[in-house]
Amino acid sequence: MNPVTLEIQEIGGSLACEIKTLSGASPMSCYQCTKCSSGCPVAGRGDLKPHELVRLVHMNQRHAVLTSRFIWECTSCHTCVTRCPQKVDIAAMNDTLRALSLSEGLAAADIAAPVFNEVFLRSVRKRGRVHELGLMAAFKLRTRRFLEDLDKAPMMLKKGKLPLRGARVGGRSEREKLFRRAAHGGEP
Amino acid sequence: MSYTFYPGCSLDGTAKDFHRSTLAVAAKLGLELPEIEDWICCGSTAAHSSDPLLADALPAQNLRAAGGRTVAVACASCYSRLKMANHHIAGDPSVRAEVARVVGEDYDGLTPVRHLLEILGQDMQREVAAAIRRPLAGLRVACYYGCLLSRPPEVTQFDDAENPTLMDKLLETAGATPVDWPHKTECCGASFSISDSSIVLELSERILSMAQAAQVDCIVTACPLCQLNLDMRQEDVEVKYGRRYDLPVFYFTQLLGLAMGCSASELSLGSLVVEPKVLLESKGLSMAGARA
Ligand code: SF4
Ligand code: SF4
Repeated sequence: MNPVTLEIQEIGGSLACEIKTLSGASPMSCYQCTKCSSGCPVAGRGDLKPHELVRLVHMNQRHAVLTSRFIWECTSCHTCVTRCPQKVDIAAMNDTLRALSLSEGLAAADIAAPVFNEVFLRSVRKRGRVHELGLMAAFKLRTRRFLEDLDKAPMMLKKGKLPLRGARVGGRSEREKLFRRAAHGGEP
Repeated sequence: MSYTFYPGCSLDGTAKDFHRSTLAVAAKLGLELPEIEDWICCGSTAAHSSDPLLADALPAQNLRAAGGRTVAVACASCYSRLKMANHHIAGDPSVRAEVARVVGEDYDGLTPVRHLLEILGQDMQREVAAAIRRPLAGLRVACYYGCLLSRPPEVTQFDDAENPTLMDKLLETAGATPVDWPHKTECCGASFSISDSSIVLELSERILSMAQAAQVDCIVTACPLCQLNLDMRQEDVEVKYGRRYDLPVFYFTQLLGLAMGCSASELSLGSLVVEPKVLLESKGLSMAGARA
């Protein structure tokens, strides 16, 4: 393994506390055994490995953490927390870090997951369920990725995997309120 | 036996074959699966990556609607989200109160949630064994569980987190030969299928190559995301990494159904992208009447 050089940009200790409050995960329990990174399926491709992410949190490197690609490439597979001797929930940390990165405008422009999440949840909000064909079309429109997977939709239609019409569940106005209350921490 | 069924969105679309084969197998077993009335999406990855409260509220609304009856789930992703919401809500009174404010009604987090593998492999073991008509003799299978069923173990409490065997035992009961292989619970890239398929190709390559090294005839899954990634993206993996697999990827309900004498059409075998016809016929199992 190559040695990693971490550049210290900020001094202080608030990021770990913030993460603990928002996600319930305890980054400060980590003693850098690297077991998380041994099993992480995306450790080899990202700019960081899970134990390095936790180390950056220890050192309060907020900018480096919130701009990393790793937090977006994490598949939420929970291998890290399942095997961690200290039960550091890196999967939950990444959920929180993604939300922070988005709200602070620090996510790289080519990361498509937020757009996907947004069109997905809009479908749930409107219909109560996800209509996959509509979801794929909306995602492509938003990301302008028209040429990707061109062969997939016709093949899936032929295989009966993409019904043209999606189901809708009643109670839309109630659902609208539910989504609004969730966004406001339970307040109407 | 009867369980309240939460199908989830995939089972109405890309995993329609999982839905049909589940109902076909249930019919053979006398298992009734009435759906939760007006169920809504569990929120899946999109909700928990953007809004933790919503990620607990959507499952809570569905589980409340089940009225305390045990909920059966086929999709591993829904299973994981419903279990996670239960874990958060039952384990923390402040989360319970917050979720109640969002949903508009209190939910205690105690509605039991069981995956179909648990129902067939634990609750109905004897019925399954008695329903086998055409054992899948000579079929070597790699049972692939993926991430969402067994992790994190404190939350899902599904079998063994590192080496689950529920699906292996079911397939063995059906006469097939499940092999011991190391990638049972590796991640396939899950929901990145659309938003960043390069992750899915890289991760699925490892799983497909390991299954091939284990010299299996096919892979068996219990999750719509796993099935879609390994089946629909198999050709993309072959092109990108210069390999050739030709490994059909079934839902476990499709193979159980075949062994129970269901027709290829009842099991939607025609929906599989990697065609299983040659393989099944070589084992003396007919694909007649297959349709998408
Ligand atoms: S496995 Fe846990 S303790 Fe070990 S480096 Fe990773 S987070 Fe830290
Ligand atoms: S949950 Fe994320 S960080 Fe943890 S092992 Fe999986 S991909 Fe890696």
